[in-house]
Amino acid sequence: MNSGQPGSRAPRPILVTLATIALVVGACGPAAPAASSPTSSATPTPVTVTPVPVETTDTGLTADGKVLIRWFVGLGTGAQPDQIADEQKVVSDFNASQDKIVLSLEIYQNTTAYDILSTQIAAGTAPDIIGPVGFRGFYSYGDQLLDLTPYIAKNNVDLSDMDPAILAAYKEGFGGQVGIPFAIYPSFLYYNKDLFDEAGLPYPPHKVGDKYDGKDWNWDTLTELAKKLTVDKAGNDATASAFDKSNIEQWGYYMQWTDPRGWGTQRGAGSVVADDGKTAQIPDNWVRAWQWYYDAMWKDHFVPTGTENRAEYLGPDNAFQSGHIAMDFVHLWYTCCAWPADGKPAVPNWDIAVPPADGTTTTAKLHADTFGIMKSTKHPDEAFQVLTYLLNNDTLIARYGALPAVKSKQAAFFANLDTRFAPNKVDWQVALDMLGHPDVPSHEADMPNFLKADAAIKAFQEKLITTEGLDIAAEAATLKATLQGLFDEVN
Amino acid sequence: MSTSSPGFVVPTTLVHPGRVRGGLARREEIWGYVFISPWIIGFALFTFLPMAAAAVFSLTDFDLRRPDDIRFIGLANYERLLTDPVVAQSIGVTLRFIAITVPLNLVVALGLALLLNSPRVAGKPLLRTLFYMPIQIPLVAATLIWAGVLNGSSGWVNTILGVIGINGPDWIGDSSWVLVTLALIGVWSVGNMMLIFVAGLQGVPSELYDAARVDGAGTWRTFRSVTLPLITPILFYNLLISLVTSFQTFIQAFVLKNGVPDAATNLFNLNLYRQAFSFNQMGYASGLAWVLFAVILGVTVILFWSSRRWVYYAAER
Repeated sequence: MNSGQPGSRAPRPILVTLATIALVVGACGPAAPAASSPTSSATPTPVTVTPVPVETTDTGLTADGKVLIRWFVGLGTGAQPDQIADEQKVVSDFNASQDKIVLSLEIYQNTTAYDILSTQIAAGTAPDIIGPVGFRGFYSYGDQLLDLTPYIAKNNVDLSDMDPAILAAYKEGFGGQVGIPFAIYPSFLYYNKDLFDEAGLPYPPHKVGDKYDGKDWNWDTLTELAKKLTVDKAGNDATASAFDKSNIEQWGYYMQWTDPRGWGTQRGAGSVVADDGKTAQIPDNWVRAWQWYYDAMWKDHFVPTGTENRAEYLGPDNAFQSGHIAMDFVHLWYTCCAWPADGKPAVPNWDIAVPPADGTTTTAKLHADTFGIMKSTKHPDEAFQVLTYLLNNDTLIARYGALPAVKSKQAAFFANLDTRFAPNKVDWQVALDMLGHPDVPSHEADMPNFLKADAAIKAFQEKLITTEGLDIAAEAATLKATLQGLFDEVN
Repeated sequence: MSTSSPGFVVPTTLVHPGRVRGGLARREEIWGYVFISPWIIGFALFTFLPMAAAAVFSLTDFDLRRPDDIRFIGLANYERLLTDPVVAQSIGVTLRFIAITVPLNLVVALGLALLLNSPRVAGKPLLRTLFYMPIQIPLVAATLIWAGVLNGSSGWVNTILGVIGINGPDWIGDSSWVLVTLALIGVWSVGNMMLIFVAGLQGVPSELYDAARVDGAGTWRTFRSVTLPLITPILFYNLLISLVTSFQTFIQAFVLKNGVPDAATNLFNLNLYRQAFSFNQMGYASGLAWVLFAVILGVTVILFWSSRRWVYYAAER
């Protein structure tokens, strides 16, 4: 026979309350976020962290008196398994090459890298070097970066072979030359040749101005083409009356790993910030681009929705590589991921083509990556030595799929890619041609209250890819009002 | 020394218990502190000090990227959160989530516990283990698995519903379903709560069931009039813990929405995290953390106050 309750005493409210407080506070600690996120110029990977050698003093020295330089990867590309192996080799090669500096590599998942770096800065444990990182990262940490001007002069670094516009982009608004161009990534259409062959359709044009099947290569033509390349499980394409939108097996078009600012540039460059630097705006051409892309998801069904993109058959979060996407408008850095790390590629036959024109204008959004040195570094000279080593490292250039900013290195870069993707042959001239059609201003340009404005745009994106029946003009107006509120917080 | 008394001798120790027992009590007290000191030190270092630090931070303008520029701003962060529409939105989302998840967890956990306490169910040890096992799986991994299972396009749940002619919802993408989805994911790990209920059910005196049966009570009446009153302390405990953890829910929403919550999933704790670590506003986030703490403390106090009316402790009667 049992008694009513063990102990048969009421818990003491105060003690239990105190314990509850401890529970509350204990559970309020930062949890370990995970999972993937399609972000601009970033690819999702498991968290990988290389242990940092223990410093013996607060002067940034290792136990044996060498200068410790910490290299932080994760703000952009650089965390794919294949890339990690090469990065580790680059680090070990550097460490073997001399006896004064120890280079330490730290790699973080892109979705948490920004949070971790902010926390490290606050804790006084910021790394020495960050990168590769695009303009988004530079805008997030611009005032934390070291002006490299005196180190460039001191080390006689030759900048004459670099694009002056990109060089200037790392100076304007930063209060100094905080970056040296490392890599540029034009964008274009990756297309799966097997899916075109299966449908008996000609490949998209490789030159700006060329026609497609006798028609102007514009967004209407792409729409019709993408519908024909969108197929349900019964084999009906999206132009057929029997097409089943709830059982799609293959989609005609996609814009992988970008946000609505990237979507907007399909129809030309623009900015959500007016020329005065503090007024929110939504360019008309972007609203048109968003309406078109939204209809492509929910009305014409040739672009996967958010739910479809997260489905197993398009995953894990690398839609084109799944073999179920016919055309993917993405940057050169996607060469990182168009081929699997192991095993047989699902898309062995692919090539690249020019994006359609909007009217007479073709726009291919451009990304650029580089490395930066944090102002807090205790050893700026040694950090700059490592920086120049990384900037000139051909292994990293090749593995990041990064077109070298140094023009004389570009031919060798493409030859390297040809070797990697052989026997598949890719028309790299398309990539070079697209450098002539950049988005100016950049879709990654700075915004007032950047982090919150960027989050608001991503929330807008999440709504569009998961919600049917939206009025895009009204949603754009709401976004504009939201952005204005965020801009006003800092103006 | 002893004290004389007619008929017997009373040992000094009984006449002056305080002196002798005081020595013993002191030794016990010292050993007690020795044994709980790891917890006290841990609490002081990893709970109390961070709480105190957060209280101080909440009075400052503290940007994580610029720790040297920290400024004292008094109660400005608290004034701001009172008018911040995102805070109001996140409170609404959190309350809706709690309204779904707390009753659901309690009902499911109690239902499973009743099942596993029934003499008519075979293989109870195995079933208890199976129901408890999901607790062992890290929440991030579990959420990723559920994201696949509940995917509106390729998930097993909608595939099965499709087989029986039901067009399943977009569990994660549809803002009207996503809180239900979060609650369902939470139900998967009610094993701990279930075990506590099982322990409570096993503590109900069997003679009360015999008496109820003799009085002609049916199953429902027995449950309502015997089982439920006697497990109210357990129900109270599980309700309290469920409320506290629901207020703090973060990981599932963060993972499901790739760190970018929409209006339907911006739970209070997720907003707090984003303010601190995505927007680098540690001062403001600290204010939010203290508001959350105060709310949970308030709810806890109310629950304890109300427990006098509905929680039955046999020894107090």
